[in-house]
Amino acid sequence: MGLIDHRFPDNFITTNIDRVLTWARYSALWPMGFGLACCAIEMMAASASRYDISRFGAEVFRASPRQADLLIVAGTVTKKMAPVLRRLYDQMPEPKWVISMGSCSNAGGPFPTYSVLQGVDKIVPVDVYVSGCPPRPEALLYGLMRLQDRIRREGTVLRHERVIHVGDTEPTLING
Amino acid sequence: MGRWLRKWLLVDLLKGLWVTLKYTPQPAFTFQYPQERRAVSPRFRGVLRLQVEPATGAQTCIVCDQCAKVCPDDLIALGGHREAGLKIKVLDYFDFNLSRCSFCGLCAEVCPTRPIKALIMSEDYELGSYSRETQIIRVDQMYDGPPIEVYTR
Repeated sequence: MGLIDHRFPDNFITTNIDRVLTWARYSALWPMGFGLACCAIEMMAASASRYDISRFGAEVFRASPRQADLLIVAGTVTKKMAPVLRRLYDQMPEPKWVISMGSCSNAGGPFPTYSVLQGVDKIVPVDVYVSGCPPRPEALLYGLMRLQDRIRREGTVLRHERVIHVGDTEPTLING
Repeated sequence: MGRWLRKWLLVDLLKGLWVTLKYTPQPAFTFQYPQERRAVSPRFRGVLRLQVEPATGAQTCIVCDQCAKVCPDDLIALGGHREAGLKIKVLDYFDFNLSRCSFCGLCAEVCPTRPIKALIMSEDYELGSYSRETQIIRVDQMYDGPPIEVYTR
């Protein structure tokens, strides 16, 4: 319900409707598969019958961002592709979530080069990072479960701050 | 005449339904993932993990820094100090940047400790985090792996 997000003061409580809406949100996450590299193969495997992402209500991969709730960024995001990704994210209706799948979209992966975006969280706010290269289909399902946990916790009125790490470097190792 | 008979005796439809019926009594193909966890293949490379001596629980890592040197993306930083009376260095910190890791397994390959390898690629793949900071695995999580949350409906 994008209509009531951020419209009320903080002490406004909507309990039962809130629970119903949260249930509806986390049990029918329609993803927009943004398959860019080898992670897309694992994403397809997760939606096929062996791992069957439809057990979590997320089987309807939409080709249009207007019909999607969840953006699964699966693969290397090049700087040429980055504006397209941001535009597609902007076209998705609220509420929307982003799963960053794989090392390339988490942090750039093994490509610290001029042409690859170093982490998709520089342009869209990422909710769940799924590590792996590529992650197994089970790992993607695990990430989806973590996202469901997060949606269950956040409620419909007070939402978490969406963070974009603009200009941020990745967290450093001690002496690294 | 033959085409007409096929059409009115529903031969093609029944053939199709027979295929469906043949597959119906078979058990379901789907793995119920959070409930049952499929065994990975023995050569599977999951998240990096430090091992201890299974009998004594002593540290096996000798802080030789080879894994940090061989890592193609410089994702490992480790260090230790010497203590009087101990032959090996004591491991102080072991930071592993999971976010960039491509799970090539070179670090576990060069690990020289025998017979217990200090650094192995484990069989855990359940890696989902909410922030970039939690993707740096510190030494306290390197022994047991990052925590796996249980699915609750």
